[in-house]
Amino acid sequence: MATDDVPGGGDRLGRRSGFSPWPARRRNRARAAVIGIVLAGYAWAAGATEPFSTTALVCVLIPGVVLAAIAYAWPPQRIPPPEKLDITGMFYWVIAVGALFEWEASAWKDNSLPWHPSLTDLINPLLGPHVVKSAAILLWICVGWALVRR
Amino acid sequence: MAMSTREVTIIGFAIVIAAMFALEFLARRPGSRIPTVGQWLGYLMRPRIGRVLVLLGWWWLGWHYFAR
Repeated sequence: MATDDVPGGGDRLGRRSGFSPWPARRRNRARAAVIGIVLAGYAWAAGATEPFSTTALVCVLIPGVVLAAIAYAWPPQRIPPPEKLDITGMFYWVIAVGALFEWEASAWKDNSLPWHPSLTDLINPLLGPHVVKSAAILLWICVGWALVRR
Repeated sequence: MAMSTREVTIIGFAIVIAAMFALEFLARRPGSRIPTVGQWLGYLMRPRIGRVLVLLGWWWLGWHYFAR
């Protein structure tokens, strides 16, 4: 039964007109997968570096330099920021961020004694296992990319 | 049982961080007046200097936790 002349959905129309969106989408997915694998590998390697070493410093410098170069020379399409913020809504964030800084500053002022540890003292032991540190580095790079897009 | 000062400190950090997650959750509800982290960071990054400072802050966090 001939059904070729029956109007179909968007993809059918696209195929008939000689244009299909699928290869482009597949290409984008493949590119994202390759970037993801490279970043995961990089984070794994960076997670294995010794703290306070030159290698560790370079491993942190590279993402910073790369993202700064992208932001400056090849800026991606940015997510438009809001024209203005609701003052009351923003005030909740100011309180929360201010409280975090105050709590951290009081620990820092006391030289981060065991009875009042700073956030760094609490987080550093958690970053001990290689897999956790690598995951944190990967998350940090992703946050950097999200910031570049803003 | 009395809590040690260390425990009080840790609970303080946990409360503040939990409050931030709660704010982000509330901000993502439709019609919310509270901006999301992405929205207010995007607002701060509108001028070039804000953009530079926020990105420097991001890099400093990486250096502080992963290189030291």
